[in-house]
Amino acid sequence: MKLSYYPGCSLEGMAGDYARSITAVFKHLGIDLIELKDWTCCGSTAAHSLSEIMSVVLPARNLAIAEELGLDIICPCAMCFNRLRFSQEMVKKKIFDIPWNVTGDIQVHDMTRFLSEPEIITRIKKQVVRPLSKLKVVCYYGCQMVRLPRIAGDIDYENPQTMDKLLEAVGAQVIDWSYKSTCCGASIGIARKDIQGSLTGRILHKARQTGANAIIVSCPLCQSNLDIIQKNISGRAMPVFYFTELLHLAFEEKSADKRFRTHFTSPVPLLREKGLLP
Amino acid sequence: MTHNHIPVQDALPEHTDKKERKLIGDRGDYFLNRIVGETEENISACYQCERCTNACPVCHYMDIKPHQVIRYIQMGWREELMHSSTIWVCLSCEMCTTYCPNEVGVAETINHLRNMAVHSSIMPKERHLAVFHQTFMEELLRYGRVNELWLMNAFNLKPKILKDKIRMGTLKEEILLGLTLLKKGRLNLLPRKSKAIKEIKKVYRMRRGDIV
Ligand code: SF4
Ligand code: SF4
Repeated sequence: MKLSYYPGCSLEGMAGDYARSITAVFKHLGIDLIELKDWTCCGSTAAHSLSEIMSVVLPARNLAIAEELGLDIICPCAMCFNRLRFSQEMVKKKIFDIPWNVTGDIQVHDMTRFLSEPEIITRIKKQVVRPLSKLKVVCYYGCQMVRLPRIAGDIDYENPQTMDKLLEAVGAQVIDWSYKSTCCGASIGIARKDIQGSLTGRILHKARQTGANAIIVSCPLCQSNLDIIQKNISGRAMPVFYFTELLHLAFEEKSADKRFRTHFTSPVPLLREKGLLP
Repeated sequence: MTHNHIPVQDALPEHTDKKERKLIGDRGDYFLNRIVGETEENISACYQCERCTNACPVCHYMDIKPHQVIRYIQMGWREELMHSSTIWVCLSCEMCTTYCPNEVGVAETINHLRNMAVHSSIMPKERHLAVFHQTFMEELLRYGRVNELWLMNAFNLKPKILKDKIRMGTLKEEILLGLTLLKKGRLNLLPRKSKAIKEIKKVYRMRRGDIV
């Protein structure tokens, strides 16, 4: 199986650990990821805030490269996924003059949804050598991956289940909670720390109340936001994992504590306590 | 029956509080029609149920609440909207649009207002946010991809940003955070350039109306 892969800017910088774990997980699953050649930034919040046309044109270029390859795109970052899907819808509507050669016919997959297809889940279950059965987790999806329903497509936008299924497949105890898709306010953190603090603080508070040991995310912005802010907030610190990091942990027996050194809230003590690290 | 007819102006209370009561925008339906035409949103379908505002995670920080934004557009109050903090504070989290019973694209409309504010001569109420978006686009157009370290540096070099940060006392914290991130290997010292940058720049110039 082959897919074209659009990593996005965060995975080259702040979310390097996400990128590394994705490579490892897909190798285990036997799926080839072909990185789009010379991909460019999707424009993120800035492009659609300043110019709606650029927010269609910028992602469309990446769609064009993938169409040339003839492979469906898979996106790890929720923001990139949302922007690519939005651009695809607009390209299909043919409102703007798009300078690239693009029809919008290939599919854009969000990574969690692609992996939680029944067929892939069976493959994942076969790969598990270290079940995470002692770990209690809550999955946090954030806003860009599930909304707008018209853009995000086939997903339950009030109670998304894709990451829950993946974590259950590797044996973790997944706790249901009601803040799965509440916005964490990461995009406003640069200028209004007060707003970001109140939104993120509420999510962390609710996550602690469920009794979970860790939060699982799939968006680089959510991860850095939830992780970094904890050094300023009192109370029990909870490690924030990318879902692929835990899949990777479950797939390999060998020691992995070096992998988590980029986290602010170190997960090593927790994983040792649960017997997942020596 | 004529003696029952009271002209509208007389029915209004006297301007005792010295505030002029504002009725409809100065150019009638012009603004409403313009927004409807540009966004294809169903602004007139809104019946002020406030569901959008109740769903909004940051409505507490807005001066004009999401349902009021829609009403203001119906009334043609462009200036107030352009001067508001709402258009900058909105996170584009799409809660409002998702839950509107009349399928009014509230988030898309607010985003469009933000676009309009950028192209107007009005100083944005949340200056830092506006400057940040601007810096992000500049970095994007320089390298094709965005490097967090270079983005923050470029942002800090914008007029008045550094001064504001020193005044608010957040600069030291930010530098410490940056150093920790570097130590943890989460920042790249050099930006990675995409080879497609020439194309991107060309498109951007074309969009602005330059003849390339
Ligand atoms: S939810 Fe829709 S109908 Fe209700 S106030 Fe908001 S925009 Fe109007
Ligand atoms: S998109 Fe903006 S206005 Fe709508 S709910 Fe989110 S923050 Fe509020």
